[in-house]
Amino acid sequence: MNIDLVATAIALLTVFGIASIIALSLNLEYGLGGIPNFGQALFVAIGAYTAGVTYTRLLPLLAGQAALDPCGATNMAPALALRTGILKTMPAVALGNFALTLVIAGVIGGLIGLVASYPALRLKEEWFLGLVLLVGSESVRIFVRGYEPIICAHNGLSGLSQPFAWLPTAQIRSLAFLGLVLVAAGLCYWYSERLARSPYGRLLKALRENNAVASGLGKEMSRVRGQVMVIGSAMAAIAGVFFVVNVGFASANDYGVALTLDIWVMIVLGGLGNMRGALLGALIVTLLDRFTSIAAIQLNMLHIDIEFNYVRYILFGVILLVMLRYRPQGLWREPVETTGVGAGEPMRAEPRV
Amino acid sequence: MLEVIKVHKAFDRLLAVDGVSLRVPKGQIVGLIGPNGSGKSTLLSTIAGQHKPDDGQIRLDGQEIGGLPPEQIFRRGLARSYQDPSLFFRMSALDNALLPAKDQRGEQPLVAPLHRLWWPQEKALAQRATSILDDLHLLPQRGKPAADLSGGQMKLLELGRTTMGAPQVMLLDEPTAGVAPALAYTIFEEIERLRRTQQITFLIVEHRLEILFDFVDWIYVMHMGQVIAEGNPATIAADRLVREVYFGE
Repeated sequence: MNIDLVATAIALLTVFGIASIIALSLNLEYGLGGIPNFGQALFVAIGAYTAGVTYTRLLPLLAGQAALDPCGATNMAPALALRTGILKTMPAVALGNFALTLVIAGVIGGLIGLVASYPALRLKEEWFLGLVLLVGSESVRIFVRGYEPIICAHNGLSGLSQPFAWLPTAQIRSLAFLGLVLVAAGLCYWYSERLARSPYGRLLKALRENNAVASGLGKEMSRVRGQVMVIGSAMAAIAGVFFVVNVGFASANDYGVALTLDIWVMIVLGGLGNMRGALLGALIVTLLDRFTSIAAIQLNMLHIDIEFNYVRYILFGVILLVMLRYRPQGLWREPVETTGVGAGEPMRAEPRV
Repeated sequence: MLEVIKVHKAFDRLLAVDGVSLRVPKGQIVGLIGPNGSGKSTLLSTIAGQHKPDDGQIRLDGQEIGGLPPEQIFRRGLARSYQDPSLFFRMSALDNALLPAKDQRGEQPLVAPLHRLWWPQEKALAQRATSILDDLHLLPQRGKPAADLSGGQMKLLELGRTTMGAPQVMLLDEPTAGVAPALAYTIFEEIERLRRTQQITFLIVEHRLEILFDFVDWIYVMHMGQVIAEGNPATIAADRLVREVYFGE
């Protein structure tokens, strides 16, 4: 078996970086905040759908050209050629369009996250809220699959390349994109970890454990819930942009329940409420995913009649069950102390009155 | 001063609080006693904002607070504790004590990542919280999850935690439930100390009358949603109606 190790490592790290951002987003919402977002795939999809719109409508405008309808048998090829041509020959436009896509996706994702936080105010039972978000996510996916203007309905949309198509070789392009992904993942980790280890993280934990008591202690918990949904959803949408340009093709089928399951496995396995655990979970799931894909290809080449790709679903289901039963805190436990202000030298108490 | 004026609260057809009026003067410890199901906890929850009163007024230092959400009532200076320990059990004892502190800069999501902007305040608050934990003999447990504390320690932590919000009035719902008599006295001694040093006013629901009577200035007795008697401990202990309703004599 011939494997290009460098290309494989770049591809793996890129997927890991994108998965990390998504895992961090859900870990903020559920791991720390206790909001069971079973519709996280929706927010990743928002990033993808945003890219679908900006790459077909905004990109030509930035390049000073007329946009072409990207859907339909006659339009598809010229529209694709237009996009590809701009991305390969106009670096400033390619990068500018990508940056704008990230911003627009983050804003739309955050706004929809804010709207999604309102059911959380009224639904007392966690599982019911999770169901509402799951149904919402699937409903949007089915709608987009039938609504042409976003990503050409069930046909999907190709030519959504990462913004370094103008660089000379494939490896340099991949490395540049990997660098961008790792910077984004690093920033998301820094922000998430800082939030988690701050008084705001303490608020999120209070939201998770006992929202009513926290309100009774003077905290505006409905505002906190809305905020964490905005932050988590914006991050997931940004990850969605990276996700779709890494694949190069937008299809609504990529943002279903299977993606949500992947994200949940990452945070449950890695460690709920622990941002480093989220990275660990993202790494393990990425490796397992790649392993099952390679195994599936190898078995196919050996004419062995087992569809190994489906093993990943069984594997992830077993991982979830085992972790929730035997180690619900995950591989990397959440630290007990939030800000660490009590660590180090023992504090002297103020003199007693 | 806390004033409750003809407050009603019903759930479906159950009238849990039926025209209750009471006053808790500043700096006093007032007891609220009565048989189970007499509406004491519902009254506390209504005062603290967990329930909206159907009728009547609730005033704190002359300002109407009836119907306000709990977080606003807390910020105006009224805090409550619960019958069952309502700590954040996965958080450390120190974190539990730190949470109620008001105006924490690090509670803003745009400020929180910038450690330097909130760390000095966090340290100052931790100093205060540590003092509270020390007073309650909980200093060795400050880094442990609250779930690891004993029942009595949980009660003490909940009492101490509430004082971090610098309340003027505290509503305590059976603060000695489930604790040994010696610790029950310790809890009430702590309440008395808070009254003396921080001028906190208390309204306390309590069943352990032998301890309550040693510490309170005034007592209200509830039965079936109504106040049936009020007075100092000696008066209440001698009241025939109270003895009949509460002790079945």
